[in-house]
Amino acid sequence: MLKEEERRRAETVVPGGRESGRLARPDIRDEFGLETMDMNMGPQHPSMHGLLRLVLELDGETVVRCDPVMGYLHRCQEKIAENRLYPAVIPLTDRLDYLANIHNEHGYCMAVEDLMDVEVPPRAEAIRVLMSELMRLASHIPSIGFLLLELGAFSPILYAFRERERIQDIFEAITGARMMFHYIRIGGVKADLPEGMEERIWNYIESLEASFKRDFIDLIEGNEIFVARTRGVGKLTQQKALEIGLTGPPLRCTGVDFDVRRDYPYSWYPNVEFDVVTDEAGDVEASYRVRVKECYQSMRIIKQVLEKMPEGEVMADLGRRLRPPEGEGFGRVEGPRGEFAVHVVSDGTDVPYRVHYRDPSFVNMQMLQEIVPGHYLPDIMPIMGLIDPVSGGWDK
Amino acid sequence: MTVSLPEGDLQERLERYLEGFREHAELQESGIEEDVVRVVVEPELVPRVLTVARDVLGIMHLSFITVVDRRGHFDLTYELLDLRGGRVRVKTTLEGEEPVIESVTGIYPTANWHEREAYDMFGIAFRGHPDLRRVYTWQDHFDHHPLLKSFEISTKRTFEGLR
Amino acid sequence: MGAFVNALDQEPWRFIISFLVIVVLTLNTAAILTLAERKVAGYIQLRYGPNRTGFRGILQPAADVIKLFVKENVAPGKADRWVFLAAPIAMFVPAAVIWMVVPFAPKAVVTNLNIGLLFVVSTTSIGALGVIMAGYGSHSNFSLLGALRGAAQMISYEVPLILSLLGTIILTGSLSLSDVVDKQAGGFWHWYIWSQLPMFAVFYIASIAEVKRVPFDLPEGESEIVGGYQIEYSGMTWAMIQASEFASMGLMSAITVTLFLGGWQPPFEFLDLGNFDWIWFGLKAALVMFTLQWVRWSVPRFRMDQLMDLGWKVLVPLSLVWLLVTAAGTLIVG
Repeated sequence: MLKEEERRRAETVVPGGRESGRLARPDIRDEFGLETMDMNMGPQHPSMHGLLRLVLELDGETVVRCDPVMGYLHRCQEKIAENRLYPAVIPLTDRLDYLANIHNEHGYCMAVEDLMDVEVPPRAEAIRVLMSELMRLASHIPSIGFLLLELGAFSPILYAFRERERIQDIFEAITGARMMFHYIRIGGVKADLPEGMEERIWNYIESLEASFKRDFIDLIEGNEIFVARTRGVGKLTQQKALEIGLTGPPLRCTGVDFDVRRDYPYSWYPNVEFDVVTDEAGDVEASYRVRVKECYQSMRIIKQVLEKMPEGEVMADLGRRLRPPEGEGFGRVEGPRGEFAVHVVSDGTDVPYRVHYRDPSFVNMQMLQEIVPGHYLPDIMPIMGLIDPVSGGWDK
Repeated sequence: MTVSLPEGDLQERLERYLEGFREHAELQESGIEEDVVRVVVEPELVPRVLTVARDVLGIMHLSFITVVDRRGHFDLTYELLDLRGGRVRVKTTLEGEEPVIESVTGIYPTANWHEREAYDMFGIAFRGHPDLRRVYTWQDHFDHHPLLKSFEISTKRTFEGLR
Repeated sequence: MGAFVNALDQEPWRFIISFLVIVVLTLNTAAILTLAERKVAGYIQLRYGPNRTGFRGILQPAADVIKLFVKENVAPGKADRWVFLAAPIAMFVPAAVIWMVVPFAPKAVVTNLNIGLLFVVSTTSIGALGVIMAGYGSHSNFSLLGALRGAAQMISYEVPLILSLLGTIILTGSLSLSDVVDKQAGGFWHWYIWSQLPMFAVFYIASIAEVKRVPFDLPEGESEIVGGYQIEYSGMTWAMIQASEFASMGLMSAITVTLFLGGWQPPFEFLDLGNFDWIWFGLKAALVMFTLQWVRWSVPRFRMDQLMDLGWKVLVPLSLVWLLVTAAGTLIVG
């Protein structure tokens, strides 16, 4: 397709459409001849949650228009997945939302298991839930740290990463890797928990429960400057949040209690008790509180799983070559950032025909276009802290 | 303002949704399989079906829009969630090499970026979309749509327009 | 030999030598403060600071200086070269020059101006000019934003800074800093901090804002505008800006100590060291600098409008009220 033809075609279907890639720039001139200022935030920026370019139109310090330009980390994962065997796609999914790898693997494996109608053994499901909740902790705690780092407090992020390192030590003992685990396989998990692991996790969770308040709540929750910077910023109403398509903590901080673990139950979640955490305020402070309480809920779930862990094998018997029948499969998990869904289409061969990832970071980022205009420039960073996107997620 | 989420037994709700769709729009196929309401329509009727879903049935969340390139036609799937266990899948088929379909951004604003992604990756043009630009690939000189089956992965093709 | 030293003690040699000593002092303060900052930051964040270079990291400033010397000084193509290069100097000069009126020990002050405090506040204002020059000369949107913020902030916070000094001037009866310290003799109950506690708080906060440190470092705003007015600087020019920031921090600590904490006066009479009272001065100034660093690594930063609100709506009324109280108290008590 030639460039001219494509432009013409795009313009016919979008009457008066924009020039690709550039903001339409109405000159806002009043009688003083004042104009808005166009500015770029990123892609090289120390606190952009990844490689993101925000094209901003500023009126002094107020943002008039905010347009995220993405694609700096686009690795064409969906295309690559069409050339790899089904189990070989799992390491690719690891690298989607790289702060919460287990959930990505889980989503993909659920989709393929739905396609193939595989029964996963209960012990494997319990281990999957255990790992997912540990990963949720390892993701929410740095989120709190990032929020504060962008506000200018440089210390909580180091406390957060200390906790994450401890959790990653546990992961390393179980899976062999600190970050890209390749642990959840189609039909179960790769290997059983090592000896003494349950005790070690239990002790760690007890110590985290004791120190969580001191590290992440006491210095932050009542801090005047933190409250002044985050209360009322990024105000969302429930209606707006649902329209934008938010899921996860950004949606729950407005008061809508939707959680895939409870409303579309999967894996071993029907066997554990937990509360879905919501907050009424809908601003950045509310999202901070939601994440803190979700950490406590995760610790609760982990303790229940450790108490009730069933015995048995950890992998279903699927044979060496996975050749699913023709059809399609869907999997949906609750990642730390929202609803992560995978759609796998098979044509009977041993490579997928199409894999599509619905990543929560991608969808939640639409909030930037809608909510940021009207706020000040320094407010963009707390709003990013509310959405908490990860660039592997929005860019695939 | 608070939003009220649906209540009641799941199967009843799914039956109600199916009835609602059958009543308000002409469907090619419809049915409930494994707790999912599956509806197949003509491409022109997709906005009508989604309007029914949002206004009549109260389904508020569009989860994703998937496109599958079937070498000759495109299969689109819109998955809707009523946030309490109910799932609705609206499927449609677009013929031809340069497909055009009506945008649903007016009904579910979250579809904005999903449709941009479909345009970027497959070349599907969405009529009435407020801002149809590429979302992942270069916006200036990259003329291909990567996820089409006819697009081979090759460095030469990718960097054609540069330098 | 004695005659030579006596000759050096005459003006203008005394002045020139002591001024050179002051400049060296300023630069060394800046260098050592970089290390102190990083070590304090490290220990607050549950890690060691730099500890490889030299014993426990003591040679780190030397390593930094050598690295910055050999770095290329890059400037943006369209930048206004003269303004761009003059800005760091404009920022450093006030930080170096104001030390001339600070008394280190009895009779150890470069020049005992009888309008010392007036000299201090007027020279501090030049720093704002340096910030604007840096931002404008960089020819970049980010820099301009940072410079405008910096100018607004520094000019706004000069008002509470000056108002909080007026209480000490009333109590002292003179603008000379040496007189201020002399009046605080007699042990730490005579220090001005007790009768001027609100003014001390206002001065402390305003001085953090003048130096542009967290929580008032929006002009630098590392998280959103990545360095604000100093983005385009590298190498030795950037080192000058950093040095001026740390030197200002040391300077503001010194002024705080002089005005409110008794200068070189020992806390108890019997601990008087005579001509070595600069040790007391140094200890107190180091304590204040430590608290500045402690605050920096603990709290987030303010947004611009909140910063302005704090300056104009809280600090200015507070200092005005306490000024009235001080004046009334002086009239009543005599």
